[in-house]
Amino acid sequence: MDPIKTEIVVVGGGPGGYAAAFYAADLGKKVILVEREKRLGGVCLNRGCIPSKALLHAAHTVSSARESEARGITFAPPKIDVNKLRAWKESILNRLSGGITQLAKARGVQVVHGRGYFEDSRMLRVETEEGQQLINYDHAIVAVGSISAMPKTFDLGNPRIMTSQEALEIEDIPEKLLVIGGGYIGMELGTVYATFGSQVVLVEALDTILAGADADLARPVIAHARKMFKEIRLKTKVGKMATRGKQIQVEFDMDGKKTEELYDRVLVAVGRSPNADDLGLENTKVSFDDRGFIHVNEKQQTTDPAIYAIGDIAGGVLLAHKASKEARIAIEVIVGEDSAFTDVTIPAVVFTDPELAWCGLTEAEARARGIEVKISKFPWTASGRALSFDRPDGLTKLLIDPDSERILGVGIVGTGAGELISEGVLAVEMGATAKDLALAVHPHPTLSETIMEAAEAFYGHSTHTIVRKRVE
Amino acid sequence: MDFKLPPLGEGADSGTVVNLFVKEGDQVKKDQPILELENEKAVATIPANAAGTVTKVYVKPGDKISVGQKIIGLSDGGAAPAASAPSARNEPAPEVIQTGRAPVQTPSPEQADLDSTDVGSGGGLSPAAAPSIRKLARDLGIDLTRVRGSARGGRIVLEDVRAFIQRLQRLSTQPRTATPAETPTPAKPAAEQIDFSKWGPVNKKPLSPLRQVIARRMSENWSTIPHVTQFDSIDVTDLNALRKKYAEAYEKHDARLTLTSFALKAVVEALKKHPIFNASLDEAAQEIVFKEYYHIGIAVDTEAGLIVPVIRDVDKKNLIEISKELETVARKARERKVSGEELKGGTFTISNQGGIGGAHFTPIVNKPEVAILGLGRGALQPVVRNNSIEPRLLMPIGLSYDHRVIDGGSAARFVVDLLAAFQSFKAGDVKL
Repeated sequence: MDPIKTEIVVVGGGPGGYAAAFYAADLGKKVILVEREKRLGGVCLNRGCIPSKALLHAAHTVSSARESEARGITFAPPKIDVNKLRAWKESILNRLSGGITQLAKARGVQVVHGRGYFEDSRMLRVETEEGQQLINYDHAIVAVGSISAMPKTFDLGNPRIMTSQEALEIEDIPEKLLVIGGGYIGMELGTVYATFGSQVVLVEALDTILAGADADLARPVIAHARKMFKEIRLKTKVGKMATRGKQIQVEFDMDGKKTEELYDRVLVAVGRSPNADDLGLENTKVSFDDRGFIHVNEKQQTTDPAIYAIGDIAGGVLLAHKASKEARIAIEVIVGEDSAFTDVTIPAVVFTDPELAWCGLTEAEARARGIEVKISKFPWTASGRALSFDRPDGLTKLLIDPDSERILGVGIVGTGAGELISEGVLAVEMGATAKDLALAVHPHPTLSETIMEAAEAFYGHSTHTIVRKRVE
Repeated sequence: MDFKLPPLGEGADSGTVVNLFVKEGDQVKKDQPILELENEKAVATIPANAAGTVTKVYVKPGDKISVGQKIIGLSDGGAAPAASAPSARNEPAPEVIQTGRAPVQTPSPEQADLDSTDVGSGGGLSPAAAPSIRKLARDLGIDLTRVRGSARGGRIVLEDVRAFIQRLQRLSTQPRTATPAETPTPAKPAAEQIDFSKWGPVNKKPLSPLRQVIARRMSENWSTIPHVTQFDSIDVTDLNALRKKYAEAYEKHDARLTLTSFALKAVVEALKKHPIFNASLDEAAQEIVFKEYYHIGIAVDTEAGLIVPVIRDVDKKNLIEISKELETVARKARERKVSGEELKGGTFTISNQGGIGGAHFTPIVNKPEVAILGLGRGALQPVVRNNSIEPRLLMPIGLSYDHRVIDGGSAARFVVDLLAAFQSFKAGDVKL
């Protein structure tokens, strides 16, 4: 087959890759999108953000039915048909993925399914079902993402030892589930399985859960998880695992003290690894860091002038919305605009129960960078809206520059924090001051009021909470 | 406690750090120099406002800093330094490729008296501005740290960017070495690299920060001011005799009576008669600013390079006061202890090479002044006086001036009056 000539080829059809391809097409470029799998959407749509949120939503129904008892409304105990649950989840993914395929078609983006392999800095070979297709490009964007890390010692080839990918397939609801890793993936999926009835034990090697978040924000999440999970073990390492019939025997190491337990399933959620193997990038001038992520500069350019990298494979925070932002930057740079990933506020959301979200500076980061901040908090125990649905375990926190009163960071823990954080992102991006947030009227009764009241608390006059007067 | 950049005076609110004298963990005394800041006229030292241990250094050489910005953290009790390395946020990889347009080089602070404030409170905060404004600034190559925000909390809004561009434009229409609006690299066009070692052994020394400042200023002054130098020679035979006669008496009062002391007085006499030589050209306002004070800069030759401290109100001081002050400032300049304040506000400069040697030379006008007087070494020369040849002590002078502001006739008249002033010193003027 003769090589196809294109201006831009995007390798990887996840939220970074398809965003890049679509934007390039919108700007009038000839684009080819190469995706290894049948479905577009990448990890986010197929094995990450979307299916986990669908399952969390399903789990929420179960927990709210249970909580209704205290309000005088009782239901029969839930019966869970995992096949139907899985099919429902799949239907969502198909719908979304189909939507992306249609959007690609409508834009004239050619989608080639198959494994991409770089022959050199200007040529990509794709192994499609119909044979090999060579693509000669001016610019390539590598957006191949990351995969769940599976340490060699855990990889027994036993399907009961799962990563998030398999856990999201919900083969069954195991009676006893071990979650290894107290990051957001372990916490989110632990929540799903615990709600559906598994006895969940979560182990974490560090002495804290959700290490990236400020401690005061992580606290309500941990408190709730301790109630939902059978146990959370900190500073505990998993030594080795072995297959014991239909169970897994797991050896724990807690401060040198070794114990063994049996589990029906194990979820390994210890991080994610770059997905750049077998791409032929060694035939280009692209270089990698020691963890295997591609080196890029703030313009998403790799060390090969024709090749850009975006999303997880380019390192940094592994978040879909970061990938989409980088997609825009890469395309803008390719079409000759002066664009760069500088001063971009990337919000983080953990979809635990309660949700945890932050943007801009965290307290830890402010300390590390020597940035002086004033902190203003509004506890949700004072929010009428939070009390109305029995979840006062929330906190809204603002990090404020004491001189300009500019909002440098926002942290929220509580139900719906993921939706609320966007106002924080806007405030940080706009360089809004605490006064701006305090003066903007927020509707009552909503959780968004907690942001306004936290800003008011900075000035010592929050309506629903007593604050020490500011001494200036 | 954080030590912030104190007010610099004379409307200056920023400068570039050229040298940093302290590091974390250092003990500093009050008034000990912390750093050298380049602004307005030259390099000035910024002394500590209190004693203590340096817990944190917020700036590094090359940083543009503004009044009120944190320089160092000081603990008075010698507490443990509470510093940790800043963590990179969202920075996946080091800059590996240099491409794209370089930002427009905005004029340096002394060219454009642009309001430059650092809105952030240190720690590398970016200026507060909406994403749309930041994008616009990036497209236009404008460095937002140099734009003063007018909205609440110092936030930069569209009007601020517009006002900034208008000022830039106004300034760029005035004659000056403007950096080209778009250059492929941030650096100036690179001079051809010559391998001098081809022809014999060489050794290399980096350009010191002060030397860089001098180089930049000199080339800017030289290329933006149309210079004319008026030469003459002054008969200082009698003046030198007068000086020798009283030198000893001055010595007893710890003062060295030099020709420079007389030059200061003589220059002020001439300046009073020719105020245009004591003026400045305000390019932005298209006005000539006549100064009703006489602050004379004295070029001091130091090991590190040229420094020009200013002696204030020379017209109100007598010879002994001037002589003493001359010695003090020269010493401070050599020890690099001259404060920023002492380098500013000059209305005219004298460069006296007489102590070293040489005759006529063409000094470069010290912007924003409009004229400078260069004095050479006095030498005995045959002079025709009263129809006979006499040996007289003649001092060569060169008066450089800004021809935009001063005409040749004015310069000639100035020199005539200057000569007269040099020759009119009487014993009564010198006697203590």
